[in-house]
Amino acid sequence: MDHLSKVVRTVRWYLILIFLAYDAMVVGLWWILGHVITHRMSDSQILLGLAVVSPFLIVIFAYITAAYVTSPLKAIWQTILHISPTEHNIAPPKPASLRLGRELVASLSAQIYQLANVAETVEGAAKKHNQDLNANFIANNLPLPLVVLNKYDMIMFANATAVKYLNQPLAEIIGKNAFTVMDVAFETPDTLDSWLKQVKTESATATKSWDRVKLNPSQEGQPPRYLDLAAFYNKDNPNNIETMLVLFDHTAEYGKDDQIMSFMALSVHELRTPLTLLRGYIETFQEELAGQLDPEMTDFMFKMNASAQQLAAFVNNILNVARVDGDQLMLELHEENWGEIIRSAANTLALRAKVRGLTLEFSIAPGLPTVGVDRVSIYEVISNLVDNAIKYSQPGKKIRIDTKLTQDGLVETTVQDWGVGIPTSVVPNLFTKFYRNHRNQAQIGGTGLGLYLSKAIVTAHGGNIWVRSKDGEGSTFGFTVLPYSQLTAERKASGNQDVTRGAHGWIKNHSLYRR
Amino acid sequence: MDQPATPPKPGRTVLCIEDEFFISELYARALTKAGYQITVVSDGQKGLEAAQTDKYDIILLDLMVPTITGIEILRALRDSSKTPKLHSKIIITTNLEQRDESRSDIEGQADGYIVKAEITPRELVAILDRIA
Repeated sequence: MDHLSKVVRTVRWYLILIFLAYDAMVVGLWWILGHVITHRMSDSQILLGLAVVSPFLIVIFAYITAAYVTSPLKAIWQTILHISPTEHNIAPPKPASLRLGRELVASLSAQIYQLANVAETVEGAAKKHNQDLNANFIANNLPLPLVVLNKYDMIMFANATAVKYLNQPLAEIIGKNAFTVMDVAFETPDTLDSWLKQVKTESATATKSWDRVKLNPSQEGQPPRYLDLAAFYNKDNPNNIETMLVLFDHTAEYGKDDQIMSFMALSVHELRTPLTLLRGYIETFQEELAGQLDPEMTDFMFKMNASAQQLAAFVNNILNVARVDGDQLMLELHEENWGEIIRSAANTLALRAKVRGLTLEFSIAPGLPTVGVDRVSIYEVISNLVDNAIKYSQPGKKIRIDTKLTQDGLVETTVQDWGVGIPTSVVPNLFTKFYRNHRNQAQIGGTGLGLYLSKAIVTAHGGNIWVRSKDGEGSTFGFTVLPYSQLTAERKASGNQDVTRGAHGWIKNHSLYRR
Repeated sequence: MDQPATPPKPGRTVLCIEDEFFISELYARALTKAGYQITVVSDGQKGLEAAQTDKYDIILLDLMVPTITGIEILRALRDSSKTPKLHSKIIITTNLEQRDESRSDIEGQADGYIVKAEITPRELVAILDRIA
């Protein structure tokens, strides 16, 4: 501050000196002129008075003038101090109140403010740049794959880990549609794609996570990775960050199931040939020895047949789960009469129930619409639910299959038993792979695949599967299928009526060649 | 399931290319009882040669047979430079899952596909009865 006061003081002294010199000159001239022209000495008293008083007047005048002429300088000084980062208590000057150099000060201050602003912007940019670098560094080195999408599902950012997981160069990822770049398979029809579509119309922010998402399932020669996926949606984020996807790799845990499954699938193939033979011989015996066996032997034959069927069902379950896991479960949804499917399934399954001393009853609601199902796969569902009911029921009990049309117009089928029931605590895990009712693990065998498979099949049909159970009082499993009329056009099997499909495989119908 | 308007003519001929003797024995027994004339060949190359004579109405073709595989037999039988057009219906019989490549060949070139573990001999007869 005191540089300015020094300037003011110096100006003041200069002014005093100038005025004093001027004053001396005026007083001197006055004295000479008065003396020469008038020859009077009477004014000398006045002159003396003037000479004594004027220095005081000059000092006062110099003070005022110095302050006045330096005021623009002071204002500019204030301006600079005001923007300086060190002194913060200086008020900005008000050029409008100045008497001298108003325009000059106004324009100079404006220049100074502008310079200051530029400096501030440069500094701010440098700071921000540093922050961005930090954010980028953190995001890039995050050990979790992170992908950011804009509102058009275009990939705006993928960190280094994500690039590694997506297995494509960064240039092939950025700016591309997420769903063409990320080859992900979900276990349920509720996918990231469908969720995003929904939240975009309904929500400002939303969060969802998926388990066991398969990444790059269709890439040759590479085992798929299993991930949990979390998605964070934030509508109209100004920075084009509308959706953030974070992946958690669980290949080590989930992939193990896959290895077990493919080993099992390979192994059960070896069971198929002996199984073919067993069923062939049993059938031959049953046919050719009919009427020749005593009741006990007939009963044994009957049990042998039911056991072979059970073994065949087990083999099918393993192979089907391997198909589900390998995305190879192919459904052909045809228009079918549901009552007929239930009747034929119940007739086959009644044998297995009877062998265990149980009765299987069924009822078909009148007026059910035709359904869109894959006969073979949906039979697996009914068979698994009935096999479960058989497994958890004591001899003498019954099992019921019922059908009805729900309020939503879906065809619902329930399989009810009066067996041991399921504790509420384990219900949420029932449809998980390899899960079994723990309490009964010791007494009752099983692979824990039946319900997992049933859920996959029902879901692939567009239906739902559920369970209602009371510990000790039995369980009811239910599932829905869609009426054929509710299937979207692309889900209906293309009308190749020239092929008959069944559990055995398929045969082309050569009606034209029929003799 | 649509039934044929008339039962198939008796004495239809079947060639069974199958190396698992127990299976061919069961199938031969059931088919003979049902009035079919059945010939069993357990070797791929010999099976192909037998099939190329076009003496058979139906060919049951196992995919895992010695010397040449069932898929190779199927391709050779459908290749007009190797085999003149056959009147035989070719039904694949297998217990194995097919890889995509063979699956599309089978769907395009065979007349049927049977998973052996899923059918009994009687059911096989019923299926063949429905094939014209």
